[in-house]
Amino acid sequence: MNRTERLAREADAIDLRQRTRRHFLSSCATGLGAAYLADCAGAERAAAESSATVGPPPRVKRVIYLHMIGAPSQLELFDYKPELARYSGSDCPAEYLEGQRFAFIQGTPKMLGPQYAFERRGESGAWVSELMPHFGSVVDEACFIKTMQTDQFNHGPAQLMVHTGSARVGSPSMGSWVTWGLGSENEDLPGYIVLLSGGRPPRVGGALWSSGFLPSVYQGVQCRSVGNPVLNVANPDGISRRDRRATLDALDRMNRLHHERFADPETLTRIEQAELAFRMQMTVPEAMSIDDEPEHVHQDYGTEPGKESFANNCLLARRLAERGVRFIQLFDWGWDTHGSNEMESLSIGLKRKTRQVDRPIAALLRDLRRRGMMDDTLVVWGGEFGRTSMMENRGGASMKFTGRDHNPNAFTIWMAGGGVRAGHTHGETDDMGYLPATAPVHLRDFHATLLHLMGVDHRKMTFPFQGLNQKLTGVKEAEVVREVLA
Amino acid sequence: MRNGGTLRTILGCLWLGGSAALASEFQSVDFARDVRPIFNANCAACHGGVKETSGLSFAYEDSVAPYIEAGDASASMLIDRVVDDDPDFVMPPPEHGPPLSAEQVETLRQWIDQGARWGEHWAFEPPAMAALPKANQGSESLGPVDVLINDALRREGLTANPPAGPTRWLRRMRMDLTGTPPTAGELNRFGAELASSAEAAFVRAVDRALADPGFGHVLGSVWLDAVRYADSRGLGQDGRREMWKYRDWVIDTFNRGVPMDEFTRMQIAGDLMPPTDDPASDLDRLIATAAHRLTQTNEEGGTDDEEFRTEAVLDRVATVWQAWMGVSFGCVQCHSHPYDPIRHEEYYRFAAFFNDTADWDLTDDLPKVSVPVDERDRAVAAELDRRIETERRADWEAGDAAVEESDWRTLTDIEASTDKSTAIEVVGDAVDEFRLVGTVEHHMGITVGTPTPRGLRRLTALRLTGLPIDPAAAERDAELGFVVSSIGVSLSSPHGEPRKVPVVAVLSDEPSPLIDPARSLDTDDPMGVGPYPRMLTTRTAVFVVEPADLGEGDRVTVTMRFDHATNGSYPMIARRGRVAVTGDEALHRWRTDPRRVAARERIDAWRSVRHEIRSVGLPVTRQRDARFSRASFVFDRGNRLTKTDRVTAGTPGLFPPIGAEDATPDRTDLADWMVRDDHPLTARVMVNRVWAMLFGRGIVPTQEDFGSSGATPSHPELLDDLAARFAGEMAWDVKRLCRELVLSAAYRRSSRATPKSMAVDPSNRWRWRGPSGRYPAETIRDAALAAAGLLDRSIGGPPVHPPIPEGVWKPFQADDAWETGDDGSRYRRTVYTYTKRSIPYPMMQAFDAPTREFCSARRMTSNTPLQSLMTLNDTTFVEAAAALGAAMRTSGGDFDDRLTLGFRRVLSRAPTDDERTALRTLTSDVDGDGWDAVAMVLLNLDEAMTR
Repeated sequence: MNRTERLAREADAIDLRQRTRRHFLSSCATGLGAAYLADCAGAERAAAESSATVGPPPRVKRVIYLHMIGAPSQLELFDYKPELARYSGSDCPAEYLEGQRFAFIQGTPKMLGPQYAFERRGESGAWVSELMPHFGSVVDEACFIKTMQTDQFNHGPAQLMVHTGSARVGSPSMGSWVTWGLGSENEDLPGYIVLLSGGRPPRVGGALWSSGFLPSVYQGVQCRSVGNPVLNVANPDGISRRDRRATLDALDRMNRLHHERFADPETLTRIEQAELAFRMQMTVPEAMSIDDEPEHVHQDYGTEPGKESFANNCLLARRLAERGVRFIQLFDWGWDTHGSNEMESLSIGLKRKTRQVDRPIAALLRDLRRRGMMDDTLVVWGGEFGRTSMMENRGGASMKFTGRDHNPNAFTIWMAGGGVRAGHTHGETDDMGYLPATAPVHLRDFHATLLHLMGVDHRKMTFPFQGLNQKLTGVKEAEVVREVLA
Repeated sequence: MRNGGTLRTILGCLWLGGSAALASEFQSVDFARDVRPIFNANCAACHGGVKETSGLSFAYEDSVAPYIEAGDASASMLIDRVVDDDPDFVMPPPEHGPPLSAEQVETLRQWIDQGARWGEHWAFEPPAMAALPKANQGSESLGPVDVLINDALRREGLTANPPAGPTRWLRRMRMDLTGTPPTAGELNRFGAELASSAEAAFVRAVDRALADPGFGHVLGSVWLDAVRYADSRGLGQDGRREMWKYRDWVIDTFNRGVPMDEFTRMQIAGDLMPPTDDPASDLDRLIATAAHRLTQTNEEGGTDDEEFRTEAVLDRVATVWQAWMGVSFGCVQCHSHPYDPIRHEEYYRFAAFFNDTADWDLTDDLPKVSVPVDERDRAVAAELDRRIETERRADWEAGDAAVEESDWRTLTDIEASTDKSTAIEVVGDAVDEFRLVGTVEHHMGITVGTPTPRGLRRLTALRLTGLPIDPAAAERDAELGFVVSSIGVSLSSPHGEPRKVPVVAVLSDEPSPLIDPARSLDTDDPMGVGPYPRMLTTRTAVFVVEPADLGEGDRVTVTMRFDHATNGSYPMIARRGRVAVTGDEALHRWRTDPRRVAARERIDAWRSVRHEIRSVGLPVTRQRDARFSRASFVFDRGNRLTKTDRVTAGTPGLFPPIGAEDATPDRTDLADWMVRDDHPLTARVMVNRVWAMLFGRGIVPTQEDFGSSGATPSHPELLDDLAARFAGEMAWDVKRLCRELVLSAAYRRSSRATPKSMAVDPSNRWRWRGPSGRYPAETIRDAALAAAGLLDRSIGGPPVHPPIPEGVWKPFQADDAWETGDDGSRYRRTVYTYTKRSIPYPMMQAFDAPTREFCSARRMTSNTPLQSLMTLNDTTFVEAAAALGAAMRTSGGDFDDRLTLGFRRVLSRAPTDDERTALRTLTSDVDGDGWDAVAMVLLNLDEAMTR
């Protein structure tokens, strides 16, 4: 097939693809969806190789991603640095400052030791802060990466880096890539759902779950635990479900008459979509209601029906995972512990935040294990960067509360679930917890690893845009982190 | 220009058989068509723009020349290398890819034997009008569009559909060109005219549509996607930014029929155009330059303004190329183009056109121009602004000349201190320079004191000179600037009390600083004079004082306050500086000269009148003053932190040369270059965009990419013919172009998906059927409101806030409220909806409108259940259905009459018997009289939303 012909065919294929919503379709239910295969069969493969490469065997079917917006302090939670305590209060060494750019630190700041006690937990003996006692009880599920790195030291761009692999608004998010590539497993629910804890939304908002240059159908659908779970999913006031059914029947009849005259296949697709919308009006509220969960589940998670909370969202994540949603993205807000006020301090703010998330996270991991879903679900916890080993001195002066500035050089994330080496820690930071001492892992390596666990080769999943074959992992080389795989 | 007939036949073969058949069947091998694809697929990965292994790049003729003996393939090393049996010698190496096929080698041989003539990718050669084959289409005389389309259909063996019914065409045309279905009046009028003369009726209907203000709104939406228009900043907190005067300008420009070359010039270089006698119309050119201020800005605390300024410049490059010229330039940011002959350095030469502007990613979006909210005030406001600016500029020039004329004495043997913990030292042979040391605290006062210079008898002015910490580096990477919030000067004699010397005037070293220097005189205001927010070189500020006599041994003490920090993080404090004084009368004379004083009084009086005119500050493009122009550099591998060679502005050598041969071109030259007759891309891209808007798919389907990685045009001759005529006889008039296209037989065809043709060409590439596919988001909503009788067709104004589902509007900045009024703004045209990048309006998002972060040259069309939920349950559609239901309910006549009213409003036709039956059944199945349900069905019909 020559290039011109191939491009012509691809243009046709893209046109046809845009008309259906694989996001919702069950035809791609198993592992690698037809779409991804079709895309693989495009330009890359025809030119490069004759064998059918479809990516690694999938280890998980779905992802639950817990993002703590604002960047939680690894030095107070998981990256225990007793040596840093010894230097607490002394001037930061010059080599830490050379060539570094900070958001707020000025001149020569002071070092700041860990603000909370740590304990070895579980059989793995992983260090866990006293702030996360419940998580400590399930820590053996987790695999830590303590040497995560990013290019960005401001929140907006760094959050975009985590979720889209690019620091600018306009690229597709992980969830969009994955649903575009793999499709959904439940035809009555969106394949990519976003849940916010309430409070302040992320600063770049929907850009974190945008489909970017991918077709817009792959954008994350924000579901709400208060009010209408999906926009416009409820019938308008005064319209009963019976009336709606009659309306849709008439609509169906009219559209079929139209199709008889014009025979356009898109008309049939639109008929389908209206029916699917009608079904979603039932399935979404059902999936998004935690009212009928038993009392002991509410106890475990610390959930309160009718509230907007991270705990409720953890339980919802489990319910959505059970129903085959491909990518479930949770955002929690308020982790930006600069020390600029009480709520953003290590002493008060961080304590409050950990109290909100510790129990539900532990409950979620236990619940998934109990239901046998841990083996084909991937749970990820993390922020957008780490925090400095130095105390922040905003405006060049000392501050009322204690806090840390942004550190893009080293931060901690953990993963749990299928294909993940539970109980393992990958990478160590230096004695001050400031720079990786071993095995730095860039976000693009992490993205490659996440895709690998889902059965996708990050080098092969590409989309042409602005003259480049765009990838989640970007133009620089990315490596799957083999050490964290089981 | 290629030979039309041959090319068509060759293209036919390409689709069917590929280059092998071609090479043997036709004797002429074309480089761009036949040879370059072989190079791109097999060679360019190692020998292309990214990696030029052994210095060889197949993107460039001169690079490949040594390997070729033109006219003699057997003597050409290129052929030896691709046919060699030795695995160590053959190209491509076996581990990199399979050897070239026999046919490919044969193509290369023939190409070399025929002289190895190089040629460019089709889109890089200028378009020319088609030499139309003899039209043997029966008695009907067809325009070039239909001649070429029909020719292709015949070649493909496809049968064109018959024309759609006239009224169906009318609806299609009105929806496409005005964004709403024809009104009852329009339907009746067209029907009446049709009865007298069919063809004239079509033409008149088109002229009415083109004169309808809806036209500017539809075309405007298309352009606003391309130029990434939004009412918010994007990054950081995505705060509100008042850009809507630009949006109104775009809509108005299309409605007035301003030609596209002028439209281009105004946006690319409106700020550099010489003024005319009409300040009010000159203002339009400044408004147009807001196109480049639609880039994202980052107001997040602690962000680097230079980083995001650079991002904005690169986005301007990407947008200008993609929106106007359909070329994706992104890859050249990091390395030379892998396939197309565009050099890495050429990217940065192009970026230099946009790198020397006065904007800096500031939260206040400076520089701005003040535009009256009410257009009726424009003439007065523009006249006042011109007078004020003329006088202000003259005053500054006189002051600047006085600064030059004065005899300055640098203060030596100074003592310096700060009022914070930050340390300060004094350096230099003459002990005349202060430098801050270590951590720089915010809100700082710096005091410099020393005996007044020997022999100086009078003090009339002081001058602060701020130096970059590293002057050589600052030229490449601007350092933090400084802002003197206020300044205090006192004199003291050895035994006397200190005497304060009032500062009475401030002069900047640049004619149009972003911040009014006089703000330094207000001690409560942290802003003032100085290089804000960055400095590329040494900068000065002059403070004129009430003249004071000096005694021998008097000491002068200067306290400068620096109270501003950008993004809450970067203090605008002079880190290194000197202070000089003068006793010269020149500046005193400048300040007190009665003519100058009178001029300033005039300025103040005009300003107070101007102040009464309610206006919005619109961010615009403005060139930096020549004396502080910013140099441009190549970024190594796209990284702005590693700059290499210095470059001046220029366009890629692949294209026709830009004018101004001996001088460095500026944006004016760039604009002229973009719209010159022989530019290969601008007219093609515009024509293709309008074609896609009307036909649902471009002649080049990849509207965003006309480069060699984009798709090939389905009708290359047609595209070129339209482009050549658009830039030629049509004089860049979009309305003329639209008129020709909507009157073509191709556009008038029935859109019925005839099974036989569908089997051959399902995507209708060859245009055997009329346009199909769903309308864009704005048209879906506007048409529903229009059918309901609710649409408010008023033009222009600030963004509006129609109903939005609960729970959506949760902006990061809580004060960015969404307040839906019950007034007309509820039902304004959709293009006026407040466009916040981080919270797209749900209706727009569901129907595939881009979020406008970057240039979007094409909307993908999806078909999803979220769309059905939107049109069935969203407040706007529910209200539209209720209004339409009420209209049917309250109109006179029987059931059929009422139903016909609804059908005519939504679908521009009467119902069929089957439809009547279906909807009559519905009315008996639901509660109430059922008219609202009927209306809901009508608005949700596939037919209502598709062409």
